[in-house]
Amino acid sequence: MTGMDAILQGGLQGYLVVALLLFSIGLAAVLLRRTLLMQFMGVELMLNAANVALLAFARFRGGDAQAMVFYLFIIAVAACEAAVGLALVIGLYRHRDTTDSDRAASLKQ
Amino acid sequence: MNKYYWLIPILPLLGSAFNGLLGKRAGKSAVTIVGLGVVLGALLLALSAFFAMKGMPDHRLILNYGEWMGTGSLSVPFGLAVDPLSGTMMLVITGIGFLIHLYSVGYMHEDEGYARFFCYLNLFVFFMLTLVMGSSLVLMFVGWEGVGLCSYLLIGYFFETDFAPDAGLKAFLTNRVGDLGVVIGMMVLFAAFGTLTVSDILTQAGHLAPEVGFGVLTFATLMLFVGATGKSAQLPLYLWLPDAMAGPTPVSALIHAATMVTSGIYMICRLAPVFTLTPITMDVVAWVGAATALFAATIGLVQRDIKKVLAYSTVSQLGYMFLGLGASGFAAGFFHVFTHAWFKALLFLGAGSVIHAMHHEQDLFKMGGLKSKMPITFWTMLIATLAIIGFPGTSGFASKDEILYLAYLKSPALWAIGVIAACCTAFYMLRLFTLTFFGKARDHHAYDHAHESPNTMTLPLVVLAVGTVLAVFLGWPKAFGGDFHIEGWLAPATTFGQLHAAHGEHGSHQLAWILASVSTILGLSSAAFGYFSYKDGLAVSEARAAKFPFLHHLLLNKYFVDEGVELYLLRPIRWFGNVLWKLFDVILIDGVGVNLPGALARVFGDFTALFQTGRVRNYALSMALGAAVLLYVFLK
Amino acid sequence: MFITFALITLLGALGMLLQKNIIVAGLFMVVAFFGVAGLFVLLGNPVAAALQIIVYTGAIMVLVLFVIMMLNSHEEEKAQAPRSIQRWVSLVVVAALAVGSVKLVLASAGLKALGISGAAMPQAMTLQKVGMALFADHLLGFEVAGLLLLAAMIGAVALTKRNL
Repeated sequence: MTGMDAILQGGLQGYLVVALLLFSIGLAAVLLRRTLLMQFMGVELMLNAANVALLAFARFRGGDAQAMVFYLFIIAVAACEAAVGLALVIGLYRHRDTTDSDRAASLKQ
Repeated sequence: MNKYYWLIPILPLLGSAFNGLLGKRAGKSAVTIVGLGVVLGALLLALSAFFAMKGMPDHRLILNYGEWMGTGSLSVPFGLAVDPLSGTMMLVITGIGFLIHLYSVGYMHEDEGYARFFCYLNLFVFFMLTLVMGSSLVLMFVGWEGVGLCSYLLIGYFFETDFAPDAGLKAFLTNRVGDLGVVIGMMVLFAAFGTLTVSDILTQAGHLAPEVGFGVLTFATLMLFVGATGKSAQLPLYLWLPDAMAGPTPVSALIHAATMVTSGIYMICRLAPVFTLTPITMDVVAWVGAATALFAATIGLVQRDIKKVLAYSTVSQLGYMFLGLGASGFAAGFFHVFTHAWFKALLFLGAGSVIHAMHHEQDLFKMGGLKSKMPITFWTMLIATLAIIGFPGTSGFASKDEILYLAYLKSPALWAIGVIAACCTAFYMLRLFTLTFFGKARDHHAYDHAHESPNTMTLPLVVLAVGTVLAVFLGWPKAFGGDFHIEGWLAPATTFGQLHAAHGEHGSHQLAWILASVSTILGLSSAAFGYFSYKDGLAVSEARAAKFPFLHHLLLNKYFVDEGVELYLLRPIRWFGNVLWKLFDVILIDGVGVNLPGALARVFGDFTALFQTGRVRNYALSMALGAAVLLYVFLK
Repeated sequence: MFITFALITLLGALGMLLQKNIIVAGLFMVVAFFGVAGLFVLLGNPVAAALQIIVYTGAIMVLVLFVIMMLNSHEEEKAQAPRSIQRWVSLVVVAALAVGSVKLVLASAGLKALGISGAAMPQAMTLQKVGMALFADHLLGFEVAGLLLLAAMIGAVALTKRNL
């Protein structure tokens, strides 16, 4: 299955395209939105895109269980990052009374 | 004895060092003893060297003290060459120099800077001896520059006045212009001959046919003549000599009459065979010399300052010497150097004696009637005046008429110019003499206090007078029965190797008689004219000045040459310097060179600081941008 | 089926991006995650789908929504510099990245080949297989992940404690 075929019927390239588009949307969320929480959600979206790509490759290489292990680790890391990141957001809010990332610019030259 | 001859220049140097460093503390007596002693010692050694040289078969004594510079093809030894030319100069420098040192003891007695004066004076003797005794042009040039330096130091001796330091600077800078000529000439000579040792150059010149390297040699000799012009105050570089009278009178006597100003003539005599090969330069030398002689003599006709008259007289006499050299009379020109040294030094020292007696009054119009008050000065200056106007039988007569004779052989016009200048000389010298010693005193206050000078000052006057009289025996012209001994004496030096100095057609003795008679009659008439004009005071001269106001004004202001130089030369140079400062220094170097990089760094820094917003989004954007670029790179 | 789930995912993500209200955006995010879970099922990996729903939607998104509500910021603040250059450049860059990478993938011959060779559906992933791989081959990674979670937990507590 090739090209548009793959996209329409779920070939490898189709999954990869979905993953890439998902990643772009997540990146756009980080770059275009100013609220820290929106940016955080964009990051989670990017992680998910990576997961999709990973598992797509795993399936087309014969259902490797190692990929699942790696998937589990990605989830674990995402969870840690979520916890710590949200804690930081809360800390920033307490300090600056805002969640606007542009307000936190004291490293400006 | 040979191994001590290096002391001849070095003794005065040591004296100078002593006087300069320790003189003030050691006191006037010590300075006097050292200052006079070293010159006396140099004189005695010089006499010994002189006689040693006479004993040598070719009348040459060369002493080498090792190599000074040896680079590539140039080898310059520390060498002293004693031959008739340099030997005679050596004796003049140390002999007349000693007399002037003695005179200075009295003249400078009350001055604060006594030690400084003798330091400079001794230093000058050292440099002048180096100049004449150096065996290579490089050593000669060391002396050349050194005497320029000492001239500057001594002219500007009275540094508290406004005028003296400026005069010193003027002398030094004008000399510098000439020095450029000497350096270029030396370099071209080196290129032509491959050596700067005088004896080697002359040997090679002796073997050269006249056509070889003609253009190159002419250029070299012209350049050297430019240098001589600066040092010996010929047109147009004579401007410094009248101003140099700001220095003490003994300085004027030694440096600006007897020795330093004759360096130019000495250099040309030294390289006579080379100059003989370049007839164009010889013509230039002769005509410039004649023109200078006349030009300066006319200015001297109306000057009021006694020293200024003598200064212009020196310029004029130097012109005669160059005229003689240019007419291929190297011996005649040098003989005039010799005789002039005696009588001009005497004239200056006599003037100094008068000035000293009149309590530093230098205006001729304020003197008068000093004959009875200062007899020794009177009689010695009379002898000198007779010599300078060429009274028959004096040394001045012998040297000047020989020059005029040779000038006539070259071109009658040159002879005519020389005669006119001689008439002017006679006139203004008698004017000076009459105004000073005859008639009624015009400034009674000074006159009342005038008295004869102390022995330390009158003794040198007497010795110089004796010398002036005796000098005639060295070169009594052939036409009048003598053998012009000096020509044969100088021959080993001036006609080196196999080349004989080119002789023009030799006129006859008859011609010499006729020419000498004409010039002598005209000269004596002018002298008498001068005497009678002034013996009763200034009335006659004032009437005459009123009749020719324009001419009088022109001559009194020295043809406005100084003003012209200031206006057309110095102002543009100063303006140009100003432009260079404003343009190059301020704008280019400070602005572009220093400030611009600083400003650029700041602009660049400000620009890059724009990227440091402190906002995470911006940084994330930069990363995404980088990723996109990389992606496209890989896509290609 | 694939297209359906793909569209669900992408539209949910787009919805999240374009929503002004953060809570609604969060809910759209949940929709996107469900879409992803569906995609996992299609990939023959029900375990992954289950974990996706449990961990991502169940834990992480709930946490995010908690924080949103706690901080009480429903709306995004007014932009300070409208029409800033950041906006346009970002759009361009993202678009470029997206288009570029998609083209790269579609044109790649290697991927094409891989798509063909691996087309046969493998056996579905089972929890047993996962467990065997995790505890037999990658035990160390498992332990380290545990430590990492511990550290994150402690960090989160430390960062938000008012008086330590």
